[in-house]
Amino acid sequence: MDKALCSLSLEEARKGLLRRDFTAFELVESLLRRIRETEPALNACLAVFEDESLKQARAMDESGPDPSKALWAVPVTLKDVYNLQGAPATAGSRMLKDYLPSYEATVVKRLREAGAILIAKTNLDEFAMGSSTEFSAYGPTRNPRNLAVVPGGSSGGAAAGVAAGQAPGAFGTDTGGSIRQPAALCGCVGLKPSYGRVSRYGIIAYGSSLDQAGPLARTVSDCGRLLSAVAGPDGLDSTCSRRPPEDYVNLKEKAPGSLTLALPRELWEASFHPAVKETLDGALELLKAAGVGLKTVSMPALRYSVAVYYILAAAEASTNLARYDGARYGYRAEKYGDLSDMYKKSRTGGLGREVRRRILLGTFVLSSGYYDAYYKKAAQARRLIRDEYLKTLEEADFILAPVSSIPAWPFGSFTEDPLTQYQLDIMTLPLNLAGGPGLSLPCGEGSDGLPVGVQLMGEPFKERSLLEAGLALERMFPKPPDITRSPLTLPRG
Amino acid sequence: MTVDKKAALAAAELARLELSPEEGGELGEKLVEDFTKIVGYMDILNEIDTSLVEPLYSPMTDPEEPRKDVPRDEEAGAEKARSILEKGTRVSGHFFTVPRVV
Repeated sequence: MDKALCSLSLEEARKGLLRRDFTAFELVESLLRRIRETEPALNACLAVFEDESLKQARAMDESGPDPSKALWAVPVTLKDVYNLQGAPATAGSRMLKDYLPSYEATVVKRLREAGAILIAKTNLDEFAMGSSTEFSAYGPTRNPRNLAVVPGGSSGGAAAGVAAGQAPGAFGTDTGGSIRQPAALCGCVGLKPSYGRVSRYGIIAYGSSLDQAGPLARTVSDCGRLLSAVAGPDGLDSTCSRRPPEDYVNLKEKAPGSLTLALPRELWEASFHPAVKETLDGALELLKAAGVGLKTVSMPALRYSVAVYYILAAAEASTNLARYDGARYGYRAEKYGDLSDMYKKSRTGGLGREVRRRILLGTFVLSSGYYDAYYKKAAQARRLIRDEYLKTLEEADFILAPVSSIPAWPFGSFTEDPLTQYQLDIMTLPLNLAGGPGLSLPCGEGSDGLPVGVQLMGEPFKERSLLEAGLALERMFPKPPDITRSPLTLPRG
Repeated sequence: MTVDKKAALAAAELARLELSPEEGGELGEKLVEDFTKIVGYMDILNEIDTSLVEPLYSPMTDPEEPRKDVPRDEEAGAEKARSILEKGTRVSGHFFTVPRVV
Protein backbone atom coordinates (compact mmCIF):
# COMPACT_ATOMS: atom_id res chain seq x y z
CA MET A 1 0.00 0.00 0.00
CA ASP A 2 2.81 2.43 0.91
CA LYS A 3 4.27 1.88 -2.53
CA ALA A 4 1.25 3.61 -4.07
CA LEU A 5 1.16 6.73 -1.89
CA CYS A 6 3.50 8.61 -4.21
CA SER A 7 1.05 7.99 -7.05
CA LEU A 8 -1.90 9.69 -5.37
CA SER A 9 -3.16 12.95 -6.75
CA LEU A 10 -3.24 15.84 -4.34
CA GLU A 11 -6.99 15.49 -3.85
CA GLU A 12 -6.70 11.73 -3.24
CA ALA A 13 -3.84 12.26 -0.80
CA ARG A 14 -5.79 14.91 1.08
CA LYS A 15 -8.89 12.74 1.36
CA GLY A 16 -6.87 9.74 2.48
CA LEU A 17 -5.13 11.83 5.13
CA LEU A 18 -8.39 13.23 6.47
CA ARG A 19 -9.91 9.73 6.58
CA ARG A 20 -6.74 8.47 8.23
CA ASP A 21 -6.34 5.77 5.58
CA PHE A 22 -2.64 6.47 6.03
CA THR A 23 -0.62 8.88 8.14
CA ALA A 24 1.09 12.07 7.05
CA PHE A 25 4.34 10.38 8.07
CA GLU A 26 3.70 7.46 5.70
CA LEU A 27 2.86 9.81 2.85
CA VAL A 28 5.96 11.95 3.35
CA GLU A 29 8.12 8.86 3.75
CA SER A 30 6.80 7.45 0.48
CA LEU A 31 7.51 10.68 -1.40
CA LEU A 32 10.98 11.01 0.10
CA ARG A 33 11.72 7.45 -0.99
CA ARG A 34 10.52 8.28 -4.49
CA ILE A 35 12.72 11.38 -4.49
CA ARG A 36 15.77 9.33 -3.43
CA GLU A 37 14.98 6.74 -6.08
CA THR A 38 14.51 9.22 -8.96
CA GLU A 39 16.94 12.02 -8.17
CA PRO A 40 20.06 10.36 -9.57
CA ALA A 41 18.31 10.34 -12.95
CA LEU A 42 16.27 13.55 -12.73
CA ASN A 43 18.14 16.21 -10.75
CA ALA A 44 14.79 17.92 -10.17
CA CYS A 45 15.53 19.00 -6.58
CA LEU A 46 18.10 21.49 -5.31
CA ALA A 47 17.27 20.82 -1.66
CA VAL A 48 15.22 18.10 0.05
CA PHE A 49 13.95 18.74 3.57
CA GLU A 50 13.89 15.15 4.82
CA ASP A 51 14.16 15.64 8.57
CA GLU A 52 11.97 18.73 8.76
CA SER A 53 9.22 17.15 6.63
CA LEU A 54 9.14 13.94 8.65
CA LYS A 55 9.16 15.88 11.90
CA GLN A 56 6.31 18.09 10.74
CA ALA A 57 4.35 15.06 9.49
CA ARG A 58 4.75 13.29 12.84
CA ALA A 59 3.55 16.37 14.73
CA MET A 60 0.53 16.67 12.43
CA ASP A 61 -0.34 13.01 12.90
CA GLU A 62 -0.29 13.59 16.64
CA SER A 63 -2.54 16.65 16.51
CA GLY A 64 -4.92 14.96 14.06
CA PRO A 65 -6.43 15.95 10.73
CA ASP A 66 -7.78 19.46 10.27
CA PRO A 67 -10.23 19.57 7.35
CA SER A 68 -10.48 23.36 7.61
CA LYS A 69 -6.97 23.57 6.19
CA ALA A 70 -6.94 23.43 2.40
CA LEU A 71 -3.68 21.49 2.25
CA TRP A 72 -3.53 19.68 5.59
CA ALA A 73 -0.31 17.58 5.57
CA VAL A 74 -0.11 17.73 1.79
CA PRO A 75 3.52 17.68 0.58
CA VAL A 76 4.40 20.38 -1.93
CA THR A 77 7.64 21.46 -3.61
CA LEU A 78 8.78 25.02 -4.30
CA LYS A 79 10.80 26.30 -7.21
CA ASP A 80 14.04 27.65 -5.80
CA VAL A 81 13.04 31.29 -6.25
CA TYR A 82 10.76 31.32 -3.21
CA ASN A 83 12.30 32.69 -0.05
CA LEU A 84 11.97 30.17 2.74
CA GLN A 85 13.70 30.73 6.05
CA GLY A 86 16.40 28.29 7.06
CA ALA A 87 17.18 27.09 3.54
CA PRO A 88 19.15 28.68 0.71
CA ALA A 89 17.25 30.32 -2.14
CA THR A 90 19.67 29.93 -5.05
CA ALA A 91 17.48 30.84 -8.05
CA GLY A 92 19.62 28.24 -9.84
CA SER A 93 22.51 30.68 -9.79
CA ARG A 94 26.05 30.54 -8.56
CA MET A 95 25.44 34.14 -7.44
CA LEU A 96 23.07 32.96 -4.68
CA LYS A 97 24.70 29.64 -3.81
CA ASP A 98 24.94 30.50 -0.12
CA TYR A 99 22.14 33.03 0.12
CA LEU A 100 19.96 32.44 3.18
CA PRO A 101 16.85 34.64 3.05
CA SER A 102 15.98 36.65 6.13
CA TYR A 103 12.27 36.58 5.36
CA GLU A 104 9.66 34.34 3.76
CA ALA A 105 7.59 34.72 0.62
CA THR A 106 3.86 35.34 1.09
CA VAL A 107 3.19 32.16 -0.91
CA VAL A 108 5.32 30.18 1.56
CA LYS A 109 3.59 31.75 4.55
CA ARG A 110 0.15 30.95 3.11
CA LEU A 111 1.14 27.38 2.25
CA ARG A 112 2.26 26.86 5.83
CA GLU A 113 -1.01 28.34 7.12
CA ALA A 114 -2.92 25.98 4.83
CA GLY A 115 -1.08 23.04 6.44
CA ALA A 116 1.19 22.10 3.53
CA ILE A 117 4.46 20.26 4.15
CA LEU A 118 7.23 21.85 2.08
CA ILE A 119 9.39 18.88 1.16
CA ALA A 120 11.84 20.16 -1.45
CA LYS A 121 13.04 23.09 -3.53
CA THR A 122 13.22 22.46 -7.23
CA ASN A 123 15.66 23.17 -10.03
CA LEU A 124 15.21 25.89 -12.64
CA ASP A 125 16.96 27.88 -15.33
CA GLU A 126 19.09 30.47 -13.59
CA PHE A 127 16.85 33.31 -12.34
CA ALA A 128 14.00 31.65 -14.27
CA MET A 129 15.55 32.71 -17.58
CA GLY A 130 15.20 29.82 -19.99
CA SER A 131 12.84 27.18 -21.27
CA SER A 132 14.79 23.96 -20.74
CA THR A 133 16.32 24.03 -17.22
CA GLU A 134 19.68 23.65 -18.97
CA PHE A 135 20.76 27.06 -17.69
CA SER A 136 20.80 26.03 -14.03
CA ALA A 137 24.17 26.46 -12.38
CA TYR A 138 23.46 23.14 -10.63
CA GLY A 139 23.12 21.00 -13.74
CA PRO A 140 20.11 20.34 -15.96
CA THR A 141 16.98 18.46 -14.92
CA ARG A 142 15.98 15.52 -17.09
CA ASN A 143 12.51 14.77 -18.37
CA PRO A 144 11.07 11.75 -16.52
CA ARG A 145 9.20 10.65 -19.66
CA ASN A 146 12.44 10.38 -21.58
CA LEU A 147 15.72 11.06 -19.82
CA ALA A 148 17.44 12.09 -23.05
CA VAL A 149 15.32 15.22 -23.44
CA VAL A 150 14.78 18.45 -21.49
CA PRO A 151 11.83 18.86 -19.10
CA GLY A 152 11.16 22.38 -20.39
CA GLY A 153 11.57 25.37 -18.17
CA SER A 154 12.16 27.42 -16.35
CA SER A 155 10.12 25.49 -13.73
CA GLY A 156 11.58 22.23 -15.09
CA GLY A 157 12.35 20.70 -11.71
CA ALA A 158 8.80 21.37 -10.53
CA ALA A 159 7.22 19.74 -13.59
CA ALA A 160 9.61 16.77 -13.73
CA GLY A 161 9.08 16.11 -10.01
CA VAL A 162 5.29 16.21 -10.24
CA ALA A 163 5.20 13.95 -13.31
CA ALA A 164 7.62 11.48 -11.70
CA GLY A 165 5.71 11.21 -8.41
CA GLN A 166 8.11 13.17 -6.19
CA ALA A 167 5.19 15.32 -5.02
CA PRO A 168 1.51 15.67 -5.88
CA GLY A 169 1.84 19.44 -6.28
CA ALA A 170 4.44 22.12 -6.85
CA PHE A 171 4.77 25.85 -7.07
CA GLY A 172 6.61 27.44 -9.95
CA THR A 173 6.67 30.88 -11.53
CA ASP A 174 5.70 31.91 -15.04
CA THR A 175 7.22 35.02 -16.65
CA GLY A 176 6.91 33.93 -20.28
CA GLY A 177 5.63 30.35 -20.05
CA SER A 178 7.77 28.91 -17.27
CA ILE A 179 4.89 27.01 -15.65
CA ARG A 180 2.82 26.12 -18.72
CA GLN A 181 5.62 24.92 -21.02
CA PRO A 182 7.39 22.48 -18.63
CA ALA A 183 3.96 21.19 -17.56
CA ALA A 184 3.22 20.44 -21.22
CA LEU A 185 6.62 18.87 -21.94
CA CYS A 186 6.43 16.65 -18.85
CA GLY A 187 2.74 15.76 -19.22
CA CYS A 188 1.21 17.51 -16.23
CA VAL A 189 -1.10 20.44 -15.55
CA GLY A 190 0.16 23.98 -14.92
CA LEU A 191 -1.70 27.16 -14.07
CA LYS A 192 -0.40 30.67 -14.58
CA PRO A 193 -2.75 32.92 -12.64
CA SER A 194 -3.56 36.47 -13.75
CA TYR A 195 -0.90 39.04 -13.05
CA GLY A 196 -1.68 40.30 -9.54
CA ARG A 197 -3.67 37.23 -8.42
CA VAL A 198 -0.84 35.84 -6.28
CA SER A 199 1.60 37.94 -4.27
CA ARG A 200 5.14 38.17 -5.60
CA TYR A 201 6.51 39.19 -2.19
CA GLY A 202 9.58 37.14 -1.35
CA ILE A 203 9.96 35.62 -4.80
CA ILE A 204 13.30 36.34 -6.46
CA ALA A 205 12.40 38.71 -9.29
CA TYR A 206 13.07 38.35 -13.00
CA GLY A 207 10.58 40.55 -14.92
CA SER A 208 8.39 42.32 -12.40
CA SER A 209 5.51 43.24 -14.72
CA LEU A 210 5.38 39.66 -16.05
CA ASP A 211 6.31 37.30 -13.16
CA GLN A 212 3.49 35.35 -11.59
CA ALA A 213 3.53 32.45 -9.13
CA GLY A 214 1.35 29.43 -9.78
CA PRO A 215 0.84 25.71 -9.24
CA LEU A 216 1.69 22.53 -11.16
CA ALA A 217 -0.03 19.22 -10.42
CA ARG A 218 -1.30 16.09 -12.14
CA THR A 219 -4.94 17.24 -12.34
CA VAL A 220 -6.84 20.45 -12.99
CA SER A 221 -8.70 20.36 -9.67
CA ASP A 222 -5.41 19.91 -7.79
CA CYS A 223 -4.18 23.14 -9.38
CA GLY A 224 -7.38 24.83 -8.21
CA ARG A 225 -6.86 23.69 -4.64
CA LEU A 226 -3.22 24.85 -4.65
CA LEU A 227 -4.24 28.25 -6.02
CA SER A 228 -6.94 28.60 -3.37
CA ALA A 229 -4.31 28.39 -0.64
CA VAL A 230 -2.20 31.29 -1.94
CA ALA A 231 -4.38 33.66 -4.01
CA GLY A 232 -5.56 37.03 -2.79
CA PRO A 233 -4.51 40.51 -1.76
CA ASP A 234 -1.24 41.09 0.05
CA GLY A 235 -0.26 44.38 1.60
CA LEU A 236 3.39 43.46 1.05
CA ASP A 237 3.11 43.48 -2.76
CA SER A 238 1.72 46.68 -4.20
CA THR A 239 1.20 44.99 -7.58
CA CYS A 240 -1.05 42.34 -6.03
CA SER A 241 -4.71 42.91 -6.83
CA ARG A 242 -7.20 43.97 -4.16
CA ARG A 243 -9.89 41.75 -5.68
CA PRO A 244 -10.94 38.94 -3.35
CA PRO A 245 -10.11 35.48 -4.72
CA GLU A 246 -12.88 33.23 -6.09
CA ASP A 247 -13.65 29.70 -4.94
CA TYR A 248 -11.17 27.53 -6.85
CA VAL A 249 -12.03 24.30 -4.99
CA ASN A 250 -15.76 23.61 -5.45
CA LEU A 251 -15.63 23.71 -9.24
CA LYS A 252 -18.45 22.86 -11.60
CA GLU A 253 -17.24 21.30 -14.83
CA LYS A 254 -18.44 23.23 -17.86
CA ALA A 255 -20.63 21.50 -20.45
CA PRO A 256 -18.58 21.11 -23.65
CA GLY A 257 -21.51 22.31 -25.75
CA SER A 258 -21.55 25.60 -23.86
CA LEU A 259 -17.95 26.44 -24.72
CA THR A 260 -16.66 28.56 -27.57
CA LEU A 261 -12.91 28.65 -27.99
CA ALA A 262 -10.98 31.11 -30.15
CA LEU A 263 -8.06 29.60 -32.08
CA PRO A 264 -5.59 32.30 -33.13
CA ARG A 265 -4.45 31.61 -36.67
CA GLU A 266 -1.04 33.14 -35.94
CA LEU A 267 -0.32 30.35 -33.43
CA TRP A 268 -2.16 27.40 -34.97
CA GLU A 269 -0.63 27.96 -38.39
CA ALA A 270 2.92 28.03 -37.07
CA SER A 271 5.39 25.43 -38.20
CA PHE A 272 5.01 22.35 -35.97
CA HIS A 273 7.00 19.21 -35.41
CA PRO A 274 4.94 16.43 -37.10
CA ALA A 275 4.48 14.50 -33.84
CA VAL A 276 3.08 17.62 -32.17
CA LYS A 277 0.93 18.48 -35.16
CA GLU A 278 -0.77 15.10 -35.30
CA THR A 279 -1.48 15.17 -31.56
CA LEU A 280 -2.92 18.69 -31.73
CA ASP A 281 -5.09 17.73 -34.71
CA GLY A 282 -6.36 14.75 -32.72
CA ALA A 283 -7.15 17.02 -29.76
CA LEU A 284 -9.13 19.42 -31.97
CA GLU A 285 -11.12 16.46 -33.31
CA LEU A 286 -11.96 15.40 -29.75
CA LEU A 287 -13.13 18.90 -28.91
CA LYS A 288 -15.30 19.08 -32.02
CA ALA A 289 -16.78 15.65 -31.37
CA ALA A 290 -17.71 16.75 -27.84
CA GLY A 291 -19.55 19.76 -29.21
CA VAL A 292 -17.08 22.50 -28.26
CA GLY A 293 -17.37 25.49 -30.57
CA LEU A 294 -14.04 26.24 -32.26
CA LYS A 295 -13.59 29.58 -33.93
CA THR A 296 -10.51 30.53 -35.91
CA VAL A 297 -9.57 34.13 -35.20
CA SER A 298 -6.84 36.46 -36.30
CA MET A 299 -4.62 38.19 -33.74
CA PRO A 300 -2.04 39.98 -35.92
CA ALA A 301 -0.19 41.64 -33.03
CA LEU A 302 0.96 38.21 -31.81
CA ARG A 303 3.61 38.35 -34.51
CA TYR A 304 5.45 40.91 -32.37
CA SER A 305 5.23 39.14 -29.04
CA VAL A 306 8.71 37.60 -29.09
CA ALA A 307 10.37 40.96 -29.78
CA VAL A 308 8.15 42.78 -27.28
CA TYR A 309 8.67 40.19 -24.57
CA TYR A 310 12.43 39.93 -24.89
CA ILE A 311 12.82 43.72 -24.82
CA LEU A 312 10.58 44.22 -21.79
CA ALA A 313 11.63 41.14 -19.84
CA ALA A 314 15.31 41.85 -20.45
CA ALA A 315 14.86 45.50 -19.44
CA GLU A 316 13.14 44.49 -16.21
CA ALA A 317 15.73 41.78 -15.58
CA SER A 318 18.63 44.18 -16.04
CA THR A 319 17.07 46.46 -13.43
CA ASN A 320 16.14 43.71 -10.98
CA LEU A 321 19.48 41.98 -11.23
CA ALA A 322 21.45 45.20 -10.68
CA ARG A 323 21.20 44.32 -6.99
CA TYR A 324 23.65 41.46 -7.44
CA ASP A 325 26.78 43.54 -7.06
CA GLY A 326 28.83 41.39 -4.72
CA ALA A 327 28.73 44.12 -2.07
CA ARG A 328 26.03 42.98 0.35
CA TYR A 329 25.16 39.36 -0.28
CA GLY A 330 25.69 36.69 -2.85
CA TYR A 331 28.87 35.82 -4.69
CA ARG A 332 31.87 38.14 -4.48
CA ALA A 333 34.90 37.54 -6.70
CA GLU A 334 38.07 36.40 -4.93
CA LYS A 335 40.30 38.99 -6.57
CA TYR A 336 39.46 42.48 -7.72
CA GLY A 337 40.86 46.01 -7.90
CA ASP A 338 38.65 49.01 -7.29
CA LEU A 339 34.92 49.10 -6.55
CA SER A 340 33.86 49.04 -10.19
CA ASP A 341 36.16 46.08 -10.81
CA MET A 342 34.63 44.28 -7.81
CA TYR A 343 31.14 44.72 -9.30
CA LYS A 344 32.24 43.55 -12.73
CA LYS A 345 34.21 40.52 -11.56
CA SER A 346 31.53 39.45 -9.09
CA ARG A 347 28.70 39.80 -11.60
CA THR A 348 30.62 38.18 -14.44
CA GLY A 349 31.75 35.31 -12.20
CA GLY A 350 28.43 34.83 -10.37
CA LEU A 351 25.97 35.08 -13.25
CA GLY A 352 25.68 32.54 -16.05
CA ARG A 353 25.86 33.19 -19.76
CA GLU A 354 22.12 33.42 -20.51
CA VAL A 355 21.52 35.75 -17.58
CA ARG A 356 24.38 38.01 -18.66
CA ARG A 357 23.02 37.97 -22.21
CA ARG A 358 19.61 39.20 -21.02
CA ILE A 359 21.11 41.82 -18.69
CA LEU A 360 23.18 43.11 -21.57
CA LEU A 361 20.15 43.30 -23.86
CA GLY A 362 18.03 44.94 -21.17
CA THR A 363 20.69 47.51 -20.35
CA PHE A 364 21.00 48.32 -24.03
CA VAL A 365 17.27 48.84 -24.66
CA LEU A 366 17.05 51.11 -21.62
CA SER A 367 20.12 53.15 -22.45
CA SER A 368 19.99 56.71 -23.66
CA GLY A 369 19.60 56.89 -27.42
CA TYR A 370 17.86 53.50 -27.67
CA TYR A 371 15.13 53.78 -25.04
CA ASP A 372 12.44 55.17 -27.35
CA ALA A 373 13.25 52.90 -30.27
CA TYR A 374 13.19 49.70 -28.21
CA TYR A 375 11.83 49.90 -24.68
CA LYS A 376 9.08 52.46 -25.24
CA LYS A 377 8.16 51.00 -28.61
CA ALA A 378 7.85 47.53 -27.07
CA ALA A 379 5.65 48.87 -24.26
CA GLN A 380 3.40 50.46 -26.89
CA ALA A 381 3.21 47.22 -28.85
CA ARG A 382 2.43 45.45 -25.57
CA ARG A 383 -0.74 47.51 -25.29
CA LEU A 384 -1.75 46.40 -28.80
CA ILE A 385 -1.20 42.75 -27.81
CA ARG A 386 -3.16 43.19 -24.57
CA ASP A 387 -6.07 45.00 -26.28
CA GLU A 388 -6.24 42.36 -28.99
CA TYR A 389 -6.25 39.62 -26.35
CA LEU A 390 -9.15 41.20 -24.44
CA LYS A 391 -11.07 41.90 -27.63
CA THR A 392 -10.74 38.27 -28.74
CA LEU A 393 -12.27 37.22 -25.43
CA GLU A 394 -15.35 39.30 -26.18
CA GLU A 395 -16.09 36.89 -29.02
CA ALA A 396 -15.20 33.62 -27.32
CA ASP A 397 -15.10 32.17 -23.82
CA PHE A 398 -11.41 31.31 -23.96
CA ILE A 399 -8.46 31.35 -26.30
CA LEU A 400 -7.06 27.91 -27.08
CA ALA A 401 -3.45 27.57 -28.22
CA PRO A 402 -0.66 25.00 -28.38
CA VAL A 403 1.99 25.33 -25.66
CA SER A 404 5.05 24.37 -27.71
CA SER A 405 5.50 23.79 -31.41
CA ILE A 406 8.03 21.05 -30.77
CA PRO A 407 8.19 18.20 -28.25
CA ALA A 408 10.75 18.15 -25.44
CA TRP A 409 14.11 18.39 -27.21
CA PRO A 410 17.49 16.70 -26.72
CA PHE A 411 19.92 18.51 -24.44
CA GLY A 412 22.06 21.14 -26.10
CA SER A 413 19.80 21.63 -29.13
CA PHE A 414 19.52 25.40 -28.78
CA THR A 415 22.06 26.47 -26.18
CA GLU A 416 24.24 28.01 -28.88
CA ASP A 417 21.34 29.61 -30.72
CA PRO A 418 19.47 31.85 -28.27
CA LEU A 419 17.34 33.67 -30.85
CA THR A 420 15.82 30.41 -32.11
CA GLN A 421 15.14 29.34 -28.54
CA TYR A 422 13.44 32.70 -27.83
CA GLN A 423 11.29 32.33 -30.94
CA LEU A 424 10.05 28.95 -29.69
CA ASP A 425 8.41 30.81 -26.80
CA ILE A 426 5.87 32.52 -29.07
CA MET A 427 3.01 30.30 -27.88
CA THR A 428 3.34 31.24 -24.22
CA LEU A 429 4.68 34.83 -24.12
CA PRO A 430 1.51 36.69 -25.20
CA LEU A 431 -0.36 35.69 -22.04
CA ASN A 432 2.24 37.29 -19.76
CA LEU A 433 2.22 40.44 -21.85
CA ALA A 434 -1.59 40.59 -21.58
CA GLY A 435 -1.63 39.68 -17.88
CA GLY A 436 -4.34 37.02 -18.18
CA PRO A 437 -4.59 33.55 -16.63
CA GLY A 438 -3.66 30.41 -18.56
CA LEU A 439 -4.04 26.70 -17.93
CA SER A 440 -1.80 24.20 -19.68
CA LEU A 441 -2.95 20.60 -19.80
CA PRO A 442 -1.90 17.42 -21.59
CA CYS A 443 -3.87 16.59 -24.74
CA GLY A 444 -2.17 13.37 -25.77
CA GLU A 445 1.22 12.09 -26.78
CA GLY A 446 2.95 12.11 -30.14
CA SER A 447 4.23 9.11 -32.07
CA ASP A 448 7.58 9.78 -30.37
CA GLY A 449 5.94 9.03 -27.01
CA LEU A 450 6.40 12.55 -25.70
CA PRO A 451 3.50 14.49 -24.19
CA VAL A 452 1.87 17.41 -25.97
CA GLY A 453 -0.08 20.17 -24.24
CA VAL A 454 -2.63 22.82 -25.04
CA GLN A 455 -3.41 25.96 -23.08
CA LEU A 456 -6.65 27.71 -22.35
CA MET A 457 -6.38 31.43 -21.76
CA GLY A 458 -9.09 33.56 -20.22
CA GLU A 459 -10.09 36.95 -18.96
CA PRO A 460 -7.99 38.39 -16.15
CA PHE A 461 -9.15 37.26 -12.69
CA LYS A 462 -11.50 34.59 -14.03
CA GLU A 463 -9.42 31.64 -12.88
CA ARG A 464 -12.46 29.79 -11.59
CA SER A 465 -14.15 29.73 -14.96
CA LEU A 466 -10.82 28.78 -16.58
CA LEU A 467 -10.43 25.80 -14.24
CA GLU A 468 -14.04 24.73 -14.86
CA ALA A 469 -13.44 24.71 -18.61
CA GLY A 470 -10.15 22.90 -17.94
CA LEU A 471 -12.07 20.11 -16.17
CA ALA A 472 -14.14 19.56 -19.31
CA LEU A 473 -11.06 19.38 -21.56
CA GLU A 474 -9.24 17.14 -19.12
CA ARG A 475 -12.08 14.64 -19.38
CA MET A 476 -11.96 14.66 -23.20
CA PHE A 477 -8.23 14.27 -23.69
CA PRO A 478 -6.28 11.05 -23.14
CA LYS A 479 -4.49 10.96 -19.81
CA PRO A 480 -0.68 10.81 -19.95
CA PRO A 481 0.72 7.43 -18.81
CA ASP A 482 1.23 7.26 -15.04
CA ILE A 483 4.99 7.18 -14.43
CA THR A 484 4.88 7.87 -10.70
CA ARG A 485 6.18 4.37 -9.95
CA SER A 486 8.25 3.73 -13.05
CA PRO A 487 11.95 3.11 -12.60
CA LEU A 488 13.97 5.97 -14.05
CA THR A 489 17.39 4.86 -15.05
CA LEU A 490 20.00 6.88 -16.80
CA PRO A 491 20.86 6.02 -20.39
CA ARG A 492 24.27 4.36 -20.64
CA GLY A 493 27.26 6.35 -21.76
CA MET B 1 19.04 49.81 -36.57
CA THR B 2 22.43 48.17 -36.88
CA VAL B 3 24.15 47.49 -33.63
CA ASP B 4 27.84 46.87 -33.46
CA LYS B 5 30.35 45.61 -30.98
CA LYS B 6 30.84 49.13 -29.67
CA ALA B 7 27.20 49.34 -28.56
CA ALA B 8 27.47 45.93 -26.91
CA LEU B 9 30.59 46.98 -25.04
CA ALA B 10 28.97 50.23 -23.93
CA ALA B 11 25.97 48.30 -22.58
CA ALA B 12 28.32 45.87 -20.83
CA GLU B 13 30.06 48.76 -19.13
CA LEU B 14 26.72 50.17 -17.96
CA ALA B 15 25.65 46.72 -16.73
CA ARG B 16 28.97 46.22 -14.93
CA LEU B 17 29.72 43.05 -16.86
CA GLU B 18 32.99 41.99 -18.42
CA LEU B 19 32.86 40.81 -21.98
CA SER B 20 36.10 40.45 -23.84
CA PRO B 21 38.16 37.30 -23.30
CA GLU B 22 41.17 39.34 -22.16
CA GLU B 23 38.98 40.77 -19.41
CA GLY B 24 38.21 37.25 -18.26
CA GLY B 25 34.58 37.07 -19.40
CA GLU B 26 34.37 33.71 -21.13
CA LEU B 27 32.87 33.68 -24.62
CA GLY B 28 32.81 37.44 -24.87
CA GLU B 29 32.82 37.34 -28.66
CA LYS B 30 29.92 34.91 -28.81
CA LEU B 31 27.93 37.10 -26.45
CA VAL B 32 28.43 40.09 -28.75
CA GLU B 33 27.49 38.06 -31.81
CA ASP B 34 24.27 36.80 -30.19
CA PHE B 35 23.54 40.30 -28.98
CA THR B 36 23.72 41.88 -32.41
CA LYS B 37 21.60 39.09 -33.88
CA ILE B 38 18.91 39.46 -31.21
CA VAL B 39 18.82 43.26 -31.42
CA GLY B 40 18.60 42.97 -35.20
CA TYR B 41 15.52 40.77 -34.83
CA MET B 42 13.82 43.42 -32.65
CA ASP B 43 13.60 45.67 -35.72
CA ILE B 44 10.46 43.70 -36.63
CA LEU B 45 8.70 46.26 -34.39
CA ASN B 46 9.34 48.95 -37.01
CA GLU B 47 6.55 47.36 -39.04
CA ILE B 48 3.91 48.78 -36.71
CA ASP B 49 2.87 52.37 -36.24
CA THR B 50 2.61 52.99 -32.52
CA SER B 51 2.77 56.79 -32.64
CA LEU B 52 -0.68 57.15 -31.04
CA VAL B 53 -0.42 54.24 -28.61
CA GLU B 54 0.10 54.81 -24.89
CA PRO B 55 2.83 52.47 -23.59
CA LEU B 56 1.67 49.66 -21.28
CA TYR B 57 4.30 49.10 -18.62
CA SER B 58 2.23 46.85 -16.36
CA PRO B 59 -1.00 44.89 -16.79
CA MET B 60 -2.03 45.81 -13.23
CA THR B 61 -5.41 47.54 -13.06
CA ASP B 62 -6.27 47.64 -9.36
CA PRO B 63 -3.08 47.63 -7.33
CA GLU B 64 -2.93 47.53 -3.55
CA GLU B 65 -3.10 50.84 -1.74
CA PRO B 66 0.42 51.95 -0.92
CA ARG B 67 1.05 51.37 2.76
CA LYS B 68 2.37 54.05 5.07
CA ASP B 69 6.14 54.18 5.28
CA VAL B 70 6.34 53.37 8.97
CA PRO B 71 8.17 50.54 10.68
CA ARG B 72 5.74 47.77 11.56
CA ASP B 73 7.75 46.11 14.26
CA GLU B 74 10.92 47.90 15.18
CA GLU B 75 12.32 45.11 17.31
CA ALA B 76 11.81 42.51 14.58
CA GLY B 77 13.24 45.01 12.09
CA ALA B 78 16.41 45.41 14.12
CA GLU B 79 16.71 41.64 14.40
CA LYS B 80 16.26 41.33 10.63
CA ALA B 81 18.94 43.96 10.03
CA ARG B 82 21.30 41.97 12.26
CA SER B 83 20.51 38.78 10.40
CA ILE B 84 21.10 40.45 7.04
CA LEU B 85 24.46 41.78 8.21
CA GLU B 86 25.41 38.39 9.60
CA LYS B 87 24.88 36.84 6.18
CA GLY B 88 26.73 39.63 4.37
CA THR B 89 29.54 38.85 1.97
CA ARG B 90 32.13 41.01 3.82
CA VAL B 91 31.06 42.84 6.93
CA SER B 92 32.75 45.04 9.49
CA GLY B 93 30.62 46.10 12.46
CA HIS B 94 27.42 47.57 11.07
CA PHE B 95 28.81 47.98 7.59
CA PHE B 96 29.34 46.04 4.41
CA THR B 97 32.92 46.53 3.31
CA VAL B 98 33.97 47.30 -0.25
CA PRO B 99 37.19 48.65 -1.80
CA ARG B 100 38.00 52.24 -0.87
CA VAL B 101 36.35 54.81 -3.11
CA VAL B 102 37.85 58.03 -1.79
